[in-house]
Amino acid sequence: MWKFIVRRILITIPQIILLSVLIFLLAQAMPGDALSGLVDPNVSLEQKNALREKLGLNDPWYQKYGEWASGLVQGDLGQSFRFKMPVADLLEQRLINTFWLSLATLIITYIIAIPLGILSGRYNDSILDSSITGYTYLGFATPLFIFALVMLWVFGYQLQWFPTSGSVTPGLEPGTLEYVLSKARHLLLPAISMALIQTVSTVQYLRSEIVDTKQREFIITARAKGASESRVYNRHILRNSLLPIAAFFGYEITFLIGGTVFVEMIFGFPGMGQLFIESINLRDYSVVNAVVLIFGIAAILGALLSDIILSLVDPRIRIK
Amino acid sequence: MEVNNANLANQIQDPTKSPSGLKILWKEIVRDKLALISLILLVLITVFVYGTAVVLDQDEIVRVDLFAIHEPPSEEFILGTDYGGRDVFGQLIIGTRNSLSIGFLVTAISGIFGIAFGLIAGYFGGYTDNALMRVLDFFQVLPFTMLVIVFVSIVPNYTILAFSIIMAAFNWMGIARLIRSKALQEKELDYVQASKTLGTSHTKIIFREVMPNISSLIIVTMTLNLAANIGIESGLSFLGFGFPESTPSLGTLLSYATNPQTLEYRWWIWVPAAVLILIMMLMIRNVGEALRRATDARQRRG
Amino acid sequence: MAILEVEDLKVYFPIKAGILNRTVDHVKAVDGVSFSIEQGKTYGLVGESGSGKTTTGRAVIGLESIYSGKVSFNGTDITNFGRENSALRKDVQMIFQDPYSSLNPRKRVLDIISEPLRNFEKLSKTEEKKRVQELLEIVGLSPESILKYPHEFSGGQRQRIGIARAIALKPKLIIADEPVSALDVSVQAQVLNFMQDIQKELNLTYLFISHDLGIVKHMCDDIAIMYKGRYVEQGTITDIFNNPQHIYTKRLVSAIPDINPRNREKQYRIRQEVQREYANSFNDYFDSEGLAYGLQPVSDTHLVALPERG
Repeated sequence: MWKFIVRRILITIPQIILLSVLIFLLAQAMPGDALSGLVDPNVSLEQKNALREKLGLNDPWYQKYGEWASGLVQGDLGQSFRFKMPVADLLEQRLINTFWLSLATLIITYIIAIPLGILSGRYNDSILDSSITGYTYLGFATPLFIFALVMLWVFGYQLQWFPTSGSVTPGLEPGTLEYVLSKARHLLLPAISMALIQTVSTVQYLRSEIVDTKQREFIITARAKGASESRVYNRHILRNSLLPIAAFFGYEITFLIGGTVFVEMIFGFPGMGQLFIESINLRDYSVVNAVVLIFGIAAILGALLSDIILSLVDPRIRIK
Repeated sequence: MEVNNANLANQIQDPTKSPSGLKILWKEIVRDKLALISLILLVLITVFVYGTAVVLDQDEIVRVDLFAIHEPPSEEFILGTDYGGRDVFGQLIIGTRNSLSIGFLVTAISGIFGIAFGLIAGYFGGYTDNALMRVLDFFQVLPFTMLVIVFVSIVPNYTILAFSIIMAAFNWMGIARLIRSKALQEKELDYVQASKTLGTSHTKIIFREVMPNISSLIIVTMTLNLAANIGIESGLSFLGFGFPESTPSLGTLLSYATNPQTLEYRWWIWVPAAVLILIMMLMIRNVGEALRRATDARQRRG
Repeated sequence: MAILEVEDLKVYFPIKAGILNRTVDHVKAVDGVSFSIEQGKTYGLVGESGSGKTTTGRAVIGLESIYSGKVSFNGTDITNFGRENSALRKDVQMIFQDPYSSLNPRKRVLDIISEPLRNFEKLSKTEEKKRVQELLEIVGLSPESILKYPHEFSGGQRQRIGIARAIALKPKLIIADEPVSALDVSVQAQVLNFMQDIQKELNLTYLFISHDLGIVKHMCDDIAIMYKGRYVEQGTITDIFNNPQHIYTKRLVSAIPDINPRNREKQYRIRQEVQREYANSFNDYFDSEGLAYGLQPVSDTHLVALPERG
């Protein structure tokens, strides 16, 4: 099995390199270059060209890529043209915010998915099951951004249960309990909105997995041996169905990334997604590239992690 | 999605084994009242929207009228006006038409590419399949929304076609994966082997022999993709990276709701568009799910 | 001269493993098979499932890639012949085992039978239709059925469509891979007799693959018995059925049911005896891996896999 893991990791390396090449080439296609973020707009063209030459901006692309990539490895993400500060510093707080938002979303996703999936699978074809299935059906058809807008409208503006923008109430001292609680309150509505949509595929998967497992030979054998219904579920069916679900969180990262762009914009949440859209609008491309790169790597590593965990819990997908 | 796709591939049996595959699809829709009603409504919406859009003067609708800003629904403006005094109802019709058109276009482009990719990978198998699947894996793990937005913002000559191609470029993987797994099964069948011994070229075998036999899978997937693509397009337009300016889409109307005032007090601008997107996506899904049941003999109704 | 000559044919399927997915071993599906067929004859390949007989047939026509060895047709080397060698491809055709999966369900009979014609002969629509109708008549189906779909036919009729497709280009050699094993017994004889009729009519050569010794006896001039990818015994019908040398062949021959009830006792005794001999002398006939030895001539036509007696 370690062979599978090593092979899977070997696939990941070219993926990350390819991603970085893609982003680098996109950066080349973008108007402006690293220089525009560094110097005063009043500097003359000759001086600029001299600087360009000195900075190696006229080198062939692969040479520039090499320099750019080695900078990346050392944590140098370039300069923000708009904020006149290193991109890495700019990203730090945003990254932390988005991390907590994603984590909260993931947790809520599973809090919703596991009971609903189990109920729906265990009592399949009951009224309970059809209402849960109806929910997943609607959830699949609803675009996240519309749902988030409606959630904001209802719970943010009409009922005023939740704050409508920001990640924390201004003026609170970091580290205090109020600060943490305020953070959590700001997180909750966007995270719930995202989780309610994202969870449907997991609910559906868990349901069909349980319905399938119920009819397997070993379950019938367990029943025939006289095991109680709850024992059959807890010991046999759930063990088989829940582990793969737990491993999916890595794949979910890809969806989370798409989701955060919308949700952070709608809820005015200062995270990576919002920064991304703002930077695109401001043509602050070094920030854009850094965000795409970080999210891309997160997605690649998430898929890697899920594949590895799945191979540990489910020997069927393990390739020799 | 990965999970769903895998399930779908397993569920889809072989409706096509009998030549009346298309008839079965049609029968299933007629039998499923919900799907039938959905289909009829969709056709009505489409006909109405395309018909009215011909009559409507688009320039008239998108022209700013500062004397009629944010008017609530009235007799003159059935659904009121937006911040530029533009008629929301007219924008809704044109927006629906534009969203539908781009949905079809993106589905077609990504479908054609994805089907060809999946067929080639599945039919040749072995090293070809391996190499192509690594490419697919890579695309699947890319941050889709962000890359589309980046491309949209740097493409110099930005048109509807360019937008569709950008969207399709990052959106063909699902269908390709499905078609590939089906083609892998199909190519083992003797009729494909027979074609080889009869001297038929690979291209002909792939597109004339194998493809017709997986046509129902293609139809089902394309239908479900259409719904997804309309959703994605309206989402991108909502963020401001969808249609070129001056071309309203359903997402454009929704984007007005990023203004808290509009979201809270001027429902007539964004709620109709939201409802319309939801209705269209649900209905396309209803039809798609009915088609999927038809392709799976175990789930067929009646 | 022989129309088909196969020399030391080997078809190996790789077993892959390890991080880099390297080939670590092979499954030897066909392991050193040689034979030749004369024009107009029928050569039978017999063996249990997994013995490599079907793989041999498929390798000859190019559906499996050949690991080593040589296949020549009319003196021309056609080993691993690709699509390029279309002139030769016309001359070698195949009849498939399963008449259900070997016809594309989405195509009409006209399109199925005219597929090879469209690939090799430029015919007008009317000519093509006429040819297909002629072919249908040859295989004993109504010429009106050209617009029907395969599912409207019975298994026997479908196999006839498959045969019509195989003979459309007037081939010289047909590889028949268990052509009747998927059919009802009542239809089997019909199709077999018909195959013999068109053989005479078109001067066809058959490579006939089957697991059924009774059918092979009825159809073939020469036969070979395969076991685990190797030949066990090869000879004329008389050699094999009247004078089996290898214990494996003896066992197969003794297993042929005899419908005469008077012989029942005798048959039973023979079977017992062969079974005992098989159990006792297995190691004399097979090497340490359980594979057959190389072939030793017994007579001009008769070859048997025996250890070299030194």
